[in-house]
Amino acid sequence: MAEGWPKQRQVLGSKVPRLDGAAKATGRARYTYDINRPGMLHGVMVRCPHAHARIKAIDTTATRKTPGFRALTLIGASRDVVITAIDGNKLTCTPAGKKKAPDERISIEVGEGVTLIKNLKVVTLRDIQPGDRVTIEAEQWVIGRELFYAGDEVAAIAADTEEHARDAARALRIDYEVLEHVVSEDEVLKDRKKRTVPAPSNFTEAKGATQGDVEAGFREADAVVEATYGVPVISHQCLEAHGLVAEWTAEGGLTVWASTQATVSTAQQLAARFGLPAAKVNCITHYMGGGFGSKFGPDVQGFAAAELALRAGAPVKIMLDREGEIVAAGNRPSAIGTVKIAGKKDGTITAYAVDCYGTPGYTGGATVNLNLLPYVYSDAIANWKRSHAVVYVNAGAARAMRAPGHPQNCVLTEFAIDDLAARLNIDPVIIRRKNLPPNNPKAPPNSWAARRNTIYNEQIDIALQLSRWKEKWHPPGKGNAQGPLRHGIGMALHTWGGFAAAQPNECYVIIGRDGSIIARTSTQDLGTGQRTVTAVVVAEVLGQNPASIITEIGESRFGLSSGSGGSTTCPSQAPAALRAAQAARDDLFKKVAPKVQADPKDLAIEAGKVVDRKSGRSWTWKEFCARLGMEEARGRGEWSLGIANEPGNENISSGQVGGVQVAEVTVDVETGLVRVQHLVAVQDCGLVVNRLTCESQVAGGVIMGLNYALFEECIRDRATGRQLNADMEFYKLGGLGDMPKITVHLQDMPERGVIGVGEPPVISTAAAVGNAVFNALGVRVPFLPLTPWRVLQALAQGGKVS
Amino acid sequence: MNNFTYYQPQSVAQALPLLENRWGRVELLAGGTDLLDRLKEYVSTPERIVSLTAIEGPFREISAIPQAGQPPKVTIGAGVRLVDIAESKLLAPYPALTTAAAQIAGPQIRNMGTLGGSLCQRNRCWYFRDTHIQCLLKGGRKCYAHEGENQFHAIFTQGHPCVIVHPSTLAPPLIALGATAQIVSPRGNRELPLEKMFQAPSKPDQREHTLAPDEILLSVTVAPNLPPGTRLANASYEVKQKVTSDWPLVQAAVAFAIEPGSQRARNVRIVLGHVAPTPLLSPEAAQELEGKVVTEATAATAAAAAIQGARPLSQNGYKVPMLKAAVKRAILLAAGFKPDWE
Ligand SMILES: Cc1cc2nc3c(=O)[nH]c(=O)nc-3n(C[C@H](O)[C@H](O)[C@H](O)COP(=O)(O)OP(=O)(O)OC[C@H]3O[C@@H](n4cnc5c(N)ncnc54)[C@H](O)[C@@H]3O)c2cc1C
Repeated sequence: MAEGWPKQRQVLGSKVPRLDGAAKATGRARYTYDINRPGMLHGVMVRCPHAHARIKAIDTTATRKTPGFRALTLIGASRDVVITAIDGNKLTCTPAGKKKAPDERISIEVGEGVTLIKNLKVVTLRDIQPGDRVTIEAEQWVIGRELFYAGDEVAAIAADTEEHARDAARALRIDYEVLEHVVSEDEVLKDRKKRTVPAPSNFTEAKGATQGDVEAGFREADAVVEATYGVPVISHQCLEAHGLVAEWTAEGGLTVWASTQATVSTAQQLAARFGLPAAKVNCITHYMGGGFGSKFGPDVQGFAAAELALRAGAPVKIMLDREGEIVAAGNRPSAIGTVKIAGKKDGTITAYAVDCYGTPGYTGGATVNLNLLPYVYSDAIANWKRSHAVVYVNAGAARAMRAPGHPQNCVLTEFAIDDLAARLNIDPVIIRRKNLPPNNPKAPPNSWAARRNTIYNEQIDIALQLSRWKEKWHPPGKGNAQGPLRHGIGMALHTWGGFAAAQPNECYVIIGRDGSIIARTSTQDLGTGQRTVTAVVVAEVLGQNPASIITEIGESRFGLSSGSGGSTTCPSQAPAALRAAQAARDDLFKKVAPKVQADPKDLAIEAGKVVDRKSGRSWTWKEFCARLGMEEARGRGEWSLGIANEPGNENISSGQVGGVQVAEVTVDVETGLVRVQHLVAVQDCGLVVNRLTCESQVAGGVIMGLNYALFEECIRDRATGRQLNADMEFYKLGGLGDMPKITVHLQDMPERGVIGVGEPPVISTAAAVGNAVFNALGVRVPFLPLTPWRVLQALAQGGKVS
Repeated sequence: MNNFTYYQPQSVAQALPLLENRWGRVELLAGGTDLLDRLKEYVSTPERIVSLTAIEGPFREISAIPQAGQPPKVTIGAGVRLVDIAESKLLAPYPALTTAAAQIAGPQIRNMGTLGGSLCQRNRCWYFRDTHIQCLLKGGRKCYAHEGENQFHAIFTQGHPCVIVHPSTLAPPLIALGATAQIVSPRGNRELPLEKMFQAPSKPDQREHTLAPDEILLSVTVAPNLPPGTRLANASYEVKQKVTSDWPLVQAAVAFAIEPGSQRARNVRIVLGHVAPTPLLSPEAAQELEGKVVTEATAATAAAAAIQGARPLSQNGYKVPMLKAAVKRAILLAAGFKPDWE
């Protein structure tokens, strides 16, 4: 059992401004985009313009002659081999490193269009002999390669300027055989046998599960509602695009400045790819402009940048342009579901059935979180049935996006609840309360399972009060009208994990004899405030001001850390920082106590000083640290899910949270415009480390959710298969003026330890807004985003919900 | 973007000889907010860029001449920035124009973009703007919007092979106010009613305007000629999905004279924006309002007349009721009604 969080907290839970706020606001903070190395080249990706095609021929001659051209690599055209024989310029080889298929023989004539790489150097025939392990890239190996979406990567090119790189890319001659494509789900549903993707067909049979007796549930109900709801494919739209700067060092190591959510894993992946010891690769991410689940590794363009840097013998920067960012760097998949829900007058849901599908693009898995449907309420609803089918289309593959599957689940459940409430003629809050998952009395007392019913009920109470629900709610479509404006209010619930990561996370704290304190960790701050969180924790333990802690973060060489996914960073890193600071403190006491004739057990830290509880003596922090002499005090802290699960540690970090959001909207029934006026977000997140950045995380999640509700959608053209709005002009993102008043309420529960909060607040916003629009109009607008055309169409059709 | 030769003439006279008599090889550059996008996307690939940014004098100024018993005659140089139109005191009698200018995109665009650029900019159709798609305007065989993604396209589509909407939100109010355009070319100066400056393009050698490739728009003049004793009412109303940095879905600009005493509307002009390949005068709507006192009811009747000829595409039927609301609201705003939609 580890020493827990301090009982008397000075800094923890207070509002600490971001340590790097000024650097970011003034532009001093250097993001990957801002890194320019001496002699650096600029790389661009060449993408397939067709939604589905095969490469028939390629000619790189013109490209190689363009001004400033330095290097080119073709994606999917290189193989690691062992040379078995050399005959003139003809090589015979076997695949390297593969135990299977040792009989495979590869033969290739070395000439123009063939690149040989040995020991991380471009070599010629003369430099190799049988038995050598080499990487061969051959232009001819790209012939026949199938490309699955408009934007699929074909090549990467480096030149001395970005403009020259683009010119070189445009000079690349590629002959495509254009193949049949599909970019919309409904076209696949019409012809399920279609095959335009790697899978055996574009449609995969539905998977699902059932509990209880659904038909009986429908029969015993006072009302049944059946409707189809849906959410579109949206893009992460990271403000800082994906990309990295790769530089090979004189010692054969690789340094990359990457926009990534995982410095350690990015370095490991690069090391594996180039056959380097992991310690020879350093991935640096001091500042990062958003990832939201889409930036866990070097990616195609990151490997390509390193490859080009190797070939050109110069650092290479590849940052995606906006179009590449949107079409190729991930998306949140769609979900369209037919839902049947039934309930009794007292609000009990007697049955819920959902049959849904969605597209993750040309490859990938389920687009909802099928195990959590019906969402939030599944442990209380006796009878349910769920099924989901994956529909592949010729578009970029989905990636995790802030709470993968949950926003889709939330819409498919929460829309249905409000429609049922309308049919039953009751306030939908009655249904929500009635079907909350029960507390489990056998679970550990502070755990989610033991308290979830109570927590949700409290959250609903708070949300009702902050939104003035009682005074504002009215039966759907029955509110007061002001001219063409209709007012509405709606609610939705969500849940998330937020545990520590399974992988180990380290933090190091070093106290110098001048009293300075370094907190060092390889973890990355995606804009979440993690840097400040680390400083807050260390400052708390060592009695300092957070701004005085020197934070060194975001370099893979600083130790182990996991990727920032699943809201795991704060619950992994805050405890690691806590333990590191405690260990450094203990080391300091151990080293200095003999010099001040004290027993380490009697020493304690108070704000800015060290006291000897026994003798009553005290030293300022600097005085005390000066006694370190030639030494420094050091502490290492480690945390992971495994450590968190050890008995007695559940107060340090835990997981599973709930949240409730309420949206208030006005809808203009003549123009179909929806304006969100107020959004209340009540969020459970255990022990609040830094109230300011925590609230900011919640507000940020809400803003993202509002964009999902009102604006965002990847619009793909059936005829050409191209995304028409791969930009920020018609891929709409709200600005300040579109944002409502956002009220964030953090439900502080220090006894639950630290829980991650990055993902949960994004989940229920769109569902709450959709329900508010329903409340305003009395008509369901079933598909997001709630654009004027969808609102006007729903109004014109009377929004029939059968 | 492709390489080009850059010219920065000091006067219009110096600029003219640099132009050619066909489209494609030369582009005029004003604020660049439209042109640079097209260059970077390789939608436009000129060999020469003739910048208008060094031309001083009336080209960059707003000037007003008082007219007896009338609002002032105001001439706006083509090089005047959108922000200066939005904030101009001289243009205060023309809120239709100033409010439209103030709503364009965001501050960055308004600080760079110009009147000439707004009127001569190219359309924003996403098929046209995608370098990999060969639409009619780029020499291709079809207009993809007809059967494709057309939620932002025209609803007045009859006879139009290409169904873009004209992008300028300054054109409708200027046309409603009866503005004229002053144009110069090597053949001399000419002037025409602004509505005559626009056309529906359908092939690569046509633009959204009727200027010849070697012509330069010098200025636009607003000089109302109202019946004696009346006062000018004018307004523009647009529906945008987002508050900032977004394009209107529909727009209506109206101008009319109000008779003292009777309060009847005279000389009504109603122009529809973002619903047709050109800014669209609606004589039908104007006629409905002509001679009537503006009320909710008369405004609604005129609005209903405005949408009569609409033939929406597969995905933009929503624009029809939306346009109706916009016309009604523009009329009510012009007549001084307090909006109940805010
Ligand atoms: C997100 C966004 C939203 C926008 N919303 C709106 C909107 O709501 N309403 C609206 O009207 N506009 C809107 N715009 C467009 C903006 O108004 C135009 O880009 C701007 O007005 C162009 O002016 P410019 O001076 O920068 O033109 P440039 O880009 O310099 O030129 C545009 C074109 O006009 C030609 N040109 C310029 N001056 C002359 C001249 N004197 N004579 C002949 N030809 C000339 C050029 O050759 C070029 O082809 C928006 C733009 C963006 C990016």
